[in-house]
Formats: sequence, structure tokens, C-alpha cells
Amino acid sequence: MNILVVLAGVADNRYPLHQVALDSEGNLHETGQTRRILGPFDEGALELALKLRDKSDAISVHVLVLGGANEEQLARSVAAFKPDSLRILHLRPCRPWDSSMTAAQIGAFVRDDETQPDLVFIGREFGDLDEGSIPVMLATELQLPLFSLAQYAEWQGDQVRLMREKGTRREWLSCSGTYLATVTNDRRNKLRHPLMKNVMMAKRLSIETVTQNTDEPGSVRSRELAEPRAAKRQGQCRMIDGSVQEQAAAIVDYLRKAAG
Amino acid sequence: MESLMPISRIVGVVPSSWGQESMELTLAALQATCAEAVSPEVVIIGNEEVEARMNLAARSGISRVWQVETPEDIDADEPDAMATLAGEALAQVACAEASSLILTPPGPEGEELAARLAHGLGGHCLGRCLKVRLEDDRIVAERSVWGGRKLISLEVSGGVAVACVRAGKPMLTESADPVDVRKIRVDARAPAAPVLATESSGESLPPVESSKLVISGGRGLNEEGFSMLEQLARSSGGTLGGSLPAVDAGLVPVVRQVGISGKFVSPELYFAVGISGTPQHMAGISPDTRILAINKDPEAPIFSMAEAGVVGEWQELLPEVLGILHDRE
Ligand SMILES: Cc1cc2nc3c(=O)[nH]c(=O)nc-3n(C[C@H](O)[C@H](O)[C@H](O)COP(=O)(O)OP(=O)(O)OC[C@H]3O[C@@H](n4cnc5c(N)ncnc54)[C@H](O)[C@@H]3O)c2cc1C
Ligand SMILES: Nc1ncnc2c1ncn2[C@@H]1O[C@H](COP(=O)(O)O)[C@@H](O)[C@H]1O
Repeated sequence: MNILVVLAGVADNRYPLHQVALDSEGNLHETGQTRRILGPFDEGALELALKLRDKSDAISVHVLVLGGANEEQLARSVAAFKPDSLRILHLRPCRPWDSSMTAAQIGAFVRDDETQPDLVFIGREFGDLDEGSIPVMLATELQLPLFSLAQYAEWQGDQVRLMREKGTRREWLSCSGTYLATVTNDRRNKLRHPLMKNVMMAKRLSIETVTQNTDEPGSVRSRELAEPRAAKRQGQCRMIDGSVQEQAAAIVDYLRKAAG
Repeated sequence: MESLMPISRIVGVVPSSWGQESMELTLAALQATCAEAVSPEVVIIGNEEVEARMNLAARSGISRVWQVETPEDIDADEPDAMATLAGEALAQVACAEASSLILTPPGPEGEELAARLAHGLGGHCLGRCLKVRLEDDRIVAERSVWGGRKLISLEVSGGVAVACVRAGKPMLTESADPVDVRKIRVDARAPAAPVLATESSGESLPPVESSKLVISGGRGLNEEGFSMLEQLARSSGGTLGGSLPAVDAGLVPVVRQVGISGKFVSPELYFAVGISGTPQHMAGISPDTRILAINKDPEAPIFSMAEAGVVGEWQELLPEVLGILHDRE
């Protein structure tokens, strides 16, 4: 059984954002110290696949890492978990703000690939320019049923069961047939640490790069990148001083007023 | 550039069973987006509480509502089914041919619906936008990218574009002209929903989206801290929330995660304990919510956004707070 994990990466937000710019053709240029790392949802998607593989010899985990800024380091950080295959996928052109185009490109690549997945895991958001459209559209492109916001996966006999929580319900899906699951963060899918010897091995590995070209111009054009507007909320924060008791009393007042 | 048709339709699509709030959010988005030349329409899918939805639409200045009568066996929680019905309905009301902008309710379900609709109609998916405006024959959308660290403006022309915009509550008038309601029947068979086994998740506090008081913890807390926050929520009539690292640590379930990739909350008061105030977290809190913060770091960004704050450790403060609440009971 093949599990395909599609990873996008996000800019590490412990550091200032590297230089990003759009040229007149609407292509993205990323320069400077580009620290693209796995995002929380990438990590969840990868961990779920690894967890299923831990429990079954019949599982192969195949990973596609989206090409772009810092791709080699990003791919090496994934290699340290010893996926059964790992490739960097270049999209030409790469327009991650155009979710239809991006999903169509990834979809075309996956459809034509030699190894066909029996299960696809992808984060609920695909990288820094997506807020959840690309994974949904990829499911449609691949004509796969979608299980969104999966938090956990386990074996039940020889079937995979996926779990998510919604309101006060926990929902389980037994996968008969191929599904695409988007993964959200959860304690149960926090990415493990790789073994040091595998991290060393990953440093020397040669990583295959594949490319998906498209002639379609895409329909969502980027116009410009700008700085975010200053937050509307510039509170004149009243600092509550005094003894711990006095501070606690002031907090209680706030809570009581809010609760009505 | 080729000359294109001006945008002629702006249509909100709302499954009625998603509730009054989804309706309100979509109406507010329509109001925020609408151009003078185009009068907004709404497609309501389903039969639930239709009176109330119509009333709201009328008071929001909507002139035309299409009500899609749904088959009995439809699972309204399934965006896939909703997208099939909505796509068919939009084709019937001739939106699919026009240059049009479709708005779905903000939130993960609405975003999934938007993506599926765009795909189904062969249109453009704009996804979650901060703003959408019309410029002649073009739709210009602004989105937050790189976790709120940049804004990108995008443009599409021609065809159908689908977007989600969060614009708060609609402006309502006291009385309004009656809306022109047209019922439509769709013949499309919605795809069968997957069979899910369900059980209770054991959540007993109210949902984080609809509470007047949200008490939220971050990476600065541990299990003991969260257990105090929970007691606090129970004794003050509020509910519990958390940041992404708190969810990852298993301190609070992901259904209570507040932020860019979690729930959007608009309580009267948001009590943030051990939360630093990153843009990704703050994106989930309504701009008109007041914030009260406890953080041991006086430089924490949350203090520049809060109305009031205490610099201190939760280990000292929370037991005192709970003590006072208990004494008063
Ligand atoms: C793609 C993506 C999506 C994301 N989506 C979200 C999202 O939806 N929601 C979200 O919250 N985050 C999200 N994040 C994560 C976000 O970038 C931050 O990592 C997160 O918001 C930080 O959470 P925090 O404030 O709890 O932790 P920190 O930033 O680590 O802050 C912890 C705070 O606790 C304080 N503290 C420590 N000890 C004490 C004590 N004893 N008493 C009082 N205070 C103490 C510290 O001073 C510090 O300010 C996302 C990240 C990515 C990459
Ligand atoms: N700088 C960062 N950029 C992006 N994601 C991060 C960053 N730091 C932590 N995370 C995510 O936040 C969660 C908690 O991280 P930690 O507790 O630092 O291991 C994980 O899911 C990480 O993927």
C-alpha cells in the first residue's frame, strides 16, 4: 500500500521573512536567508503516514516536497525520516496563489506517476500562500473523496481509520478505497524526532527532482505584494499593578463583567 | 487586453442548515463587496429556518433570494453535497455564464465549499480574502499571505470567481421591502456522503466560536495551568480556547484552537494567558473583542493589543483568581 504525502513547507516565523517579490510576469522571487521548514500541518501529514508505516510492513511512504526556496534543506529534513521515496516537485510556473492552477499541476503529476497512491495525506493548508483551497482542489483533481481536517490515523484490521473532531463529536472513517485526507495539527500527530544517524545519512543523500510544466496561463493574476496594514487594535493597555491579590481581584472584575 | 463583460452578478451562497450566523457573515460580506451597479442576490440551499433567513436578507438590502429545495436525504454538513447543489442552482439561475462573483460563508466549511464550487463551475478560486472589490470588468482580491506578514493582491477577469470574505455583522435596517423569493428545484444527485462512525468527544464546555467570554492558554502553560483555566471557564460562564502550540501539546483540543488556522472568535472579552500574541493567533480574534492578558514577559506583543494586562506568572495569579471566584460563590 502506497501513502503519498505532499508537503509544502512554510517560512520559519521565528525569523524575519526573507525577501519576496513579484516580477512583471507575476512570478515570485524569494531571496536572502530563505528558511522554509515544515509547517505544523506538513508535520502532521508526515507523522500520520509514518505512524501507519510503523505498524505495517506493507506500507510505503512516498513524499513530494514542493520545490522553491530552501528546497534542498527542507527535503533533507524529510529524508531523515526515511520515507520510501522522496522527490522535490518543481512546478513550472509556480503560482501558489492560484489554487486551481497549483492543484491541477500537482494532480497531473500524481496521475501520471508510476506509483499510484492508495492514500494521500496533505496539510490542511498548502504553504504560505494557501489557506486551504489547494488541498480541496487536489482531491477534486484526483477525483478522490476528501476527508478534511484529519487528526489521527490508525489501523483497524487491514483498513486505515481516520479520525477528526467536530464540535462535540469524534468522527471515524474506515477507508475502503483511496481517500485524500487533509491533516490538521493535534497532539497525536506531532512529528517525531529523527534519529541522529538518519539525519547524518540525509545530509549525503542525493535527492531526485521532478518537474511539472504547464502551458495554461492560469487565471488568477498577482498584482502586487504589500506590507500588512497595521493592526486595527492598538490597545492603550492598562497595566494592572499592585499585589497579586489586587491584580487577581481586577481580573475577576473583568471576567464577571464580560460574563454578564 | 481583450474586452470583457462587466461583472454583472454578485451572489452569496449559504446552506440554510449552517445557521443564522453563516447567513449573517455572508450578508456582511456581500455588503462589503457590493458595487453600486450590481444588486446582490443570495442562494439559500435547504429549507431550514427559511423565514428567519429571508427576513435577515431583506433587512440587509438583498432584493432577490433563490431558495433551493433540497432532497430529504441530503447531508447538509457535507460541503461536497452542498457544492453539487449550489453549482447546479447557480447554473439554473444563469450565473455560470455571466461574469460573476460568488461569496460563500467564511470559515473552513465555507472555504471548502468555495474551492469545490470554483472547480465545479470551471471558475476562479480566490479563497479566503481580506477584501474583494470590483474594478470594471475585473475582480480584485486582497489576501493575507506568509502568516500575515505580507498582503497580496490578485485579479481575475471574466467567468465566475468564488471567494470568502469575513466582514463582521451586516448592517440591518428596521423594516425592509419584501424580497423577491424564487424557489428552484435541482435535479442533481448529490454524491453519497461517506459513512462515519461517531462518538462523543467528551467536550462539555460551550463551543469557542459563540461564547461571550473566551479563556485561552498558550505555550506558557502546562496541564496544571489549563486545568485552572478550565475551572475558571466553568465558574465564570465562559469557555476554553488555546493557541496552536497548546493544541500540539495536547492541552486543549484542536476544535478550540484560535487563529488563522483555527477558529475565529468574537467574544466580548478574550482572556489570554501565556500567549505571546503572534499575528497567526491574533488573526482569529475579532477586532472589536477586548483583550485581557497575563504574560510574564512585559515585552510580549499581546500587551500592545490588549485593553488591560498583568505582567506576572500564571502560577501565582490563577490560584488567586480562582480563590476569589470560589469565595464569592
Ligand atoms: C501555517 C501556520 C499556521 C498557524 N496557525 C496558528 C493558529 O491558527 N493559531 C495559533 O495560535 N498559532 C498558529 N500558528 C503558530 C504561531 O506562529 C505561533 O507559533 C503561536 O501562535 C504561538 O503561540 P503562543 O503564543 O502560545 O506561544 P509563544 O509565542 O511561545 O508564547 C508563549 C508566551 O507565554 C509566556 N509565558 C511563559 N511562561 C509563562 C508564565 N509562567 N506565566 C505567564 N506567561 C508565561 C511567554 O512570555 C510567551 O509570551 C501557526 C503557524 C503556522 C506556521
Ligand atoms: N518558527 C516556526 N515556524 C513555523 N511553525 C512553527 C515554528 N515554531 C513552531 N512551529 C510549529 O508550532 C508547533 C509547536 O512547535 P514546538 O513546540 O516549538 O515544537 C509545531 O507544530 C511547529 O510546526
